[in-house]
Amino acid sequence: MSTPSRLRLMRDFKQLQKDPPAGIAAVPSDDNILIWHAFILGPSDTPFEDGTFRLLLEFTESYPNKPPSVRFTSKMFHPNVYADGGICLDILQNRWSPTYDVSAILTSIQSLLDEPNVSSPANSEAATLYQTNRREYEKRVKMTVEQSWNAEPTLASNLRAS
Amino acid sequence: MSENSQTSAQSTNANNNSNPTSDTVSSSVPFTLKRWNLVGIWSWDVAHDVCAICRTALSESCLRCQAASNLQECIIVWGTCNHSFHNCCMSQWVKQRAQCPLCQTDWVINRIGQ
Repeated sequence: MSTPSRLRLMRDFKQLQKDPPAGIAAVPSDDNILIWHAFILGPSDTPFEDGTFRLLLEFTESYPNKPPSVRFTSKMFHPNVYADGGICLDILQNRWSPTYDVSAILTSIQSLLDEPNVSSPANSEAATLYQTNRREYEKRVKMTVEQSWNAEPTLASNLRAS
Repeated sequence: MSENSQTSAQSTNANNNSNPTSDTVSSSVPFTLKRWNLVGIWSWDVAHDVCAICRTALSESCLRCQAASNLQECIIVWGTCNHSFHNCCMSQWVKQRAQCPLCQTDWVINRIGQ
């Protein structure tokens, strides 16, 4: 079935293959182009360095007029990531523009990793530690980096199921 | 909008002895140049003018029309901010928010056409 949203997502996919941003990989599901699996590599010289964080992107037929729902499926410790992996990022909510594509979404999330916005925390413990005890914050982040290397069975089966 | 501008002008330098290279020409041309006109030719820069919403060249139909196999030509809309999109793409977006998706200024239509 070809719809404007699906055609646009195919363009996004081609663009990603033609010009892949550093440390980002994303592919649509075999059977549903509206569901994408992505990886973000934690940026160098940050506590997230070497983490291989997985995400799930769910688009609707309203894309690109409406943003996809994006969440981490890897466990994260970040001021702007909710316990369920949901991400608090303005461009995925009220600052969305239909000119964004998968590449732009993922690069924005990648830069959010080391530039958290502590004024609107989704994880108050992470936000507090980030401001008051950076060493402990980085220790907690590095734990999630190590966890990201092991695809937990539940996460892996979630990825396959969706 | 970006343009490929080409200018073509045909002029013959006559009676202009201040230009030494035209000496040979002026002596052989039996008329006087009184006026010359520049002609500008432009065309859509197809390689660069892409609708930022559907990522298809503005010279082609938008993805919505392509998906519907709508063979009618898709028209283009320009805002007062000078950004242009397929009219189909923009009319869907303004239902969400009446702002230019590129510069975020309030969307005011300047022109609709080809």
